[in-house]
Amino acid sequence: MKADRRQPLQPLSTRVRAGRALMPWIRRAVLWIFALWCLFPIYWLVTMSLKRQVDAISRKPKFIFEPIWDNYLSVLANGEVWQYFQNSAIVALGATALSLILGIPTAYVLARYRFTGNADFGFWILSTRMTPPVAMLIPFFVVYVQTGLFDTYIGLILAHVAIIISIVVWLMKGFFEDLPSEMEEAAFMDGATHFQAFFHICLPVTLPGIAAVAILAFLFSWNEFLFSLVLADRIQTVPVGLYSFVGYQQIAWGELSASAVIMLAPVLAFVFVFQRQLVRGLTLGAIK
Amino acid sequence: MISPAARDRRRFVLLMLAPATVLLIGLTLVPFIVSVLFSLSNFSLITPDDFAFSWFENYGKMFDSPEFWNALRITVIFTIAAVAVELVLGVGIAALLHFETRAVPFLRLVYLLPLAITPVAAVFTFRIMLNPSLGIFNYMLKQVGLPPQDWLGTPGMALATLVVVDAWQWTPFIMLIAAGGLAAMDEEPLEAAQMDGAGPITSFFHHSLPMLFPYLAVAVVFRSIDAFKTFDIIFVLTGGGPGIATRTLNLLAYKQGIEFLSMGYAAALAIVMLIITIIASQAFLRRINLFRPKAAL
Amino acid sequence: MTKSPNWPQGGFHLPMSRRRLLQAGTVLAGAGVLSSAASPLWAATFEEVGDQWTSADIDWKSQSGKTIVLNAVQHPWTDAITPLIPLFTELTGITVDVQTQSETEYTAELPVKLGAKSASPDVYMVWAIGQAITAGWLENLDGYYANSELSDASWWDGDDLFPSARSFQKWSDGVRYLMPITAESQVMFMNQTMLDSKGLSAPSTMEELMETAVALKSDDVAGIAMRAKSSGDSTWPAGGFIFSYGGAIIDLDGKNVINSPEAVAAIEMYGGLLNKAGPVGISSYQWVECLNDYMAEAIAMGCDSSNFATDIANPDKSQAAGHTTYGTIPKAGSNPIKPNMWHWTAGINSNSANKEAAWLFLQWAVSKPTCLLSSAAGLATPRASAWASDGFQKRFGKQAADTALASLKAGDGDLFKATWFHPKGPQILDAFGIAVNQVATGAMDAKSAMDAAAAKIDADLG
Repeated sequence: MKADRRQPLQPLSTRVRAGRALMPWIRRAVLWIFALWCLFPIYWLVTMSLKRQVDAISRKPKFIFEPIWDNYLSVLANGEVWQYFQNSAIVALGATALSLILGIPTAYVLARYRFTGNADFGFWILSTRMTPPVAMLIPFFVVYVQTGLFDTYIGLILAHVAIIISIVVWLMKGFFEDLPSEMEEAAFMDGATHFQAFFHICLPVTLPGIAAVAILAFLFSWNEFLFSLVLADRIQTVPVGLYSFVGYQQIAWGELSASAVIMLAPVLAFVFVFQRQLVRGLTLGAIK
Repeated sequence: MISPAARDRRRFVLLMLAPATVLLIGLTLVPFIVSVLFSLSNFSLITPDDFAFSWFENYGKMFDSPEFWNALRITVIFTIAAVAVELVLGVGIAALLHFETRAVPFLRLVYLLPLAITPVAAVFTFRIMLNPSLGIFNYMLKQVGLPPQDWLGTPGMALATLVVVDAWQWTPFIMLIAAGGLAAMDEEPLEAAQMDGAGPITSFFHHSLPMLFPYLAVAVVFRSIDAFKTFDIIFVLTGGGPGIATRTLNLLAYKQGIEFLSMGYAAALAIVMLIITIIASQAFLRRINLFRPKAAL
Repeated sequence: MTKSPNWPQGGFHLPMSRRRLLQAGTVLAGAGVLSSAASPLWAATFEEVGDQWTSADIDWKSQSGKTIVLNAVQHPWTDAITPLIPLFTELTGITVDVQTQSETEYTAELPVKLGAKSASPDVYMVWAIGQAITAGWLENLDGYYANSELSDASWWDGDDLFPSARSFQKWSDGVRYLMPITAESQVMFMNQTMLDSKGLSAPSTMEELMETAVALKSDDVAGIAMRAKSSGDSTWPAGGFIFSYGGAIIDLDGKNVINSPEAVAAIEMYGGLLNKAGPVGISSYQWVECLNDYMAEAIAMGCDSSNFATDIANPDKSQAAGHTTYGTIPKAGSNPIKPNMWHWTAGINSNSANKEAAWLFLQWAVSKPTCLLSSAAGLATPRASAWASDGFQKRFGKQAADTALASLKAGDGDLFKATWFHPKGPQILDAFGIAVNQVATGAMDAKSAMDAAAAKIDADLG
C-alpha cells in the first residue's frame, strides 16, 4: 500500500545499516533487563515464602534451598486470607463499577461540552485526590459512624470511589476528547438526543478504553490502605490484613510473603484477561 | 428565552454531572471543611476540652519552623526526582516495547507486577533486600568485589534509594499510559519522517513525543500528586531518617497528627500541602492547555 | 482485624469453646510448647481449672450475655491470651471479640477512634500512656478495685505483681488507670561461640563492652547492634544507657535534662558502640533488624528487650539458638545499673458501654491462674508467681528468665515514667530518637546532638 514511499532515496552507509541491524537486539536487551528489575523483588518475595524463617533472614542469601510449603499451607488453612480476599474483591469490584458509572458521564460532558466552569469543575474533581488524608481521618470516621457507613462494604466502596474517581474521569476524558466530533453531529442530524448520542454512539467505541481504566481503578482500590484501615473493623481488605503479619518484635516473613503471593494470583488473572483490552483500550485514536 | 434545544442540552449536562458531584460533595465536603477549621484552631486530642480558634497561629508556627522548610525541600526534591525517573523510564520502555515483536504480552504482564503486588509486602521485601548485612543487594555487590553500601544510611543515599523504590513501583503506571498513547498514534508522519532519512531516535523525539504529550501530562499530574504525599515507602524504609533527612511533609503531618495528636497543626500542614499541589498543578495544566474541550458540542 | 472470626458469638457455646481450646492446645503442642505432658494446664478444660477463678469472691456471671471488643497489638500477650478466652467466656458468659492489628495499624487507627469518642473498643492495649490519660481515654479503675461484687482483693493478691508493674498502674495523681499485662526489661544477649572463639568473656563495665564489641567486629560479623532508626524506637534501649550513667531524659521534677553531662556520656557510648563496632547501615536498624541480625549470627551482641529470648531460643528462626548468654546492662563507673523496663498495659475505654464486663476481663486476664496458664506459653507476665513457675522457666530459658528478672528489679520505674508517661512523651522521644540516630551514624557528636534535642524538647514543652 505504501510500498512506493518505502524506496530509500539513497543507499544507507554500512555503519548506519549495521547500527540498524543491531538495534532490535539492544532494544530487546533493555526490555529484558527492565523486566528482570521489575521481577526481582517479586522473585525474592516468592523465595521468602518458600523458606523457613531461619533461611529467609540467613546471612548468605540463599538462592538454593529446600522449598517448604508450610507457609502456604498455614496461610490457606487459616482461612483469614480468604476473608481478606473476599472483602477486597467485593470492595474493589464495587468501587471500580461505581466509579465507572459515575465517572464516565462526567468525563464525557467535560470532554465534549463547553459550559461555564468546565475547567474548574474538572480541576475540582482532580483536587479530591490532592488532600493528604491525615487531617481528614477523624471527620471521615465520625461521619461514617454517625451515618452507619462504618464497617460496611458500601461505606468502604464509597470511600474508595471518592479516591479513584478522579483517575477515571481524567483518563476517560482523554479518550472522549480523541473522538471526532462528527460522530455525535451525525447522530444529532438523525434526530438522536444527547443521551442517545452518548449511549449508543460514543460509549461503544470507548469500551476498550473503559476496560483499561477499569484495571487501573481496580488496582488503586485493591491496594488502598489508610481509609480501609480506619473506616472498618471486621471488614479487613488484603493490604490491611497482610499488615497484621508485621507483629510486635517479629515479622512473620513466611506468612506475609505467602499471602502476598496468593493475593497476587487473582489480580494477575484479572489483568491478564483484560490486558489485550488494556492496550487496545489506550489505542482509541486509531479510529480518527 | 432559552430554546428547547438549549434547555435539553443544559439538562443533559447537569444530569450527567450530578451523580458524581453529589457523591464527591457528600463524602469530601464535610471532612474538608472540618479540616480547614481544625487548621485554624489549637485542637489537640490530648486536651480536646481546651478547643479554641487560634486562627493563623498554626500557620505562623509552621512557617517559623525550620523543620517545615526542611520537609518541604525534601518533599519537592523527592517528588521531582521520582516523577522524572518514572517519566523517562516509563516513556523509554513504552517506546521500545512499541516496536518489540517477541514475547510482548509476557513482558507487559511482568511490567505490571509492581503495580499489582500489595504494597506492604513489596516495601517490606525491599526492606529485607536493602538490609546492609543480610540483604541481597549488598551480597551481590560483594560477589562482584564492590564494597557494601549503606543504602539508607546517609541523607543523599537514603533519598536516592527511596526514589529508586518509588520508581520500581510506579514506572509501570507511566509506561502503561505512554504505551496506550503510542498505540493510539497516527503513524504516517513518523513513517514519512523515516523516509526522509531520520533515524528512529530522531523521529521519536521530533514526532512521537510531542503527540504523546496530552497522555503524559495526565500521567505526570496524577503521579506528582501521589508522589507529593508518598507515605508508606518512606515510613517503612527510613522512618524519616537518617536524622530528619527524609522526613517529608506527609510524614511530618502524620507525626504531628497521629503520634503527637496535634490535629490543628497537622491539619494546617495538610492544607498547605493541598495549596501547594493546587498551585503547581494549575500552573502545569494551564501551561499545557489541557483544560479546553477539544471537540466541543 | 478479627484474628479469630469464629469465636462463638453472643452467649454460651460450650462445645464450641471447648473444641477451640483443644485446638489451641494441639497447635501449641505441635509448636513444641507442650513437649511431653509437661504442661497439663494447656490441655485443661474449664472443669479442671475453672475453680481457680470461681473460688474468688466475685460475681463473675453478673455481666453474662454481653460482648466486649478487645483491641490488641500483634504481640506475645495477644497470642497467649487469645486461646484462653473461651475459658473466660465459660466463666462469665461474656463474649470477647478480639481485634488484632500490627503496631503500625494500631497506632494509626486507635487515636482516630478514641479521639472521636467511639464506644468501641471496650478494652485496649495502651501504647502512649501519658497521651491516653491526659486525653481522657482511660477509665479510672480504682472504683472497680473497691467494688466488692466485681473484685476480691485477697484472691487478686496485688503484692504478687512486680513493684515496677504496681508503679506502672498509677498516674501521677495516684489514680490507677492501667492494668499491667506483661513485663520486659533491657538485657544483653551475647553469642557465646563468638565470645569463646576470641577468648572473651561477658563484659561487666561499659569500657569492657566497648573493648569486647570492637574485638568481636570483623569483616563478616559486627560486634554489636542496637536500635538506631530515626523514628523514635531507639529511645528505649538508649534510655537504659542514660539511666545507667546516672542521667535522665526528663528528671523527676519534670525538667528536661537530656543534655546533662551524664546523658551526653551515655549517648556517646551508645552511639560510639554502634559507630565503631556496629554493622553497616546501623542508621536504619529497628528492633527487627537487631533481632534478625542476631538470629542470623551477623552480629555478636545486642542489648534489647528480654522478650527476644523466646525467638532467639527457637531453632526454626534462629541460628544463635542454644549458644546465647544473657547478661544485665554493663556498669558505667560507680553508677548503679538501671536497665530500661517496660510493662505493656491495658485499660478500659472511658466511653465504653460495657465497663463492668471490661473490668472483669482485665481482672481475669492478669489474675494468678490466667498468668500461670499464659506464662506456660512463654509469655512474660507481670506476676512473680508466674515467673517462678516451671512452665515459664522452661519455655523462656532459665538463664534468660533470671537475667530479665534481675534487670527488671534493677530498673527505675519513676525515671522511666517521667519521660514515657509524659503527656508529650512522643514529642520528647522523637527529638531524642533523632539525636541517637545522628550520633550512631557519626553525623553529629553527642554533645551537639543532645543540645539540639534539648532545644527542641524545650520548644515543645513550651
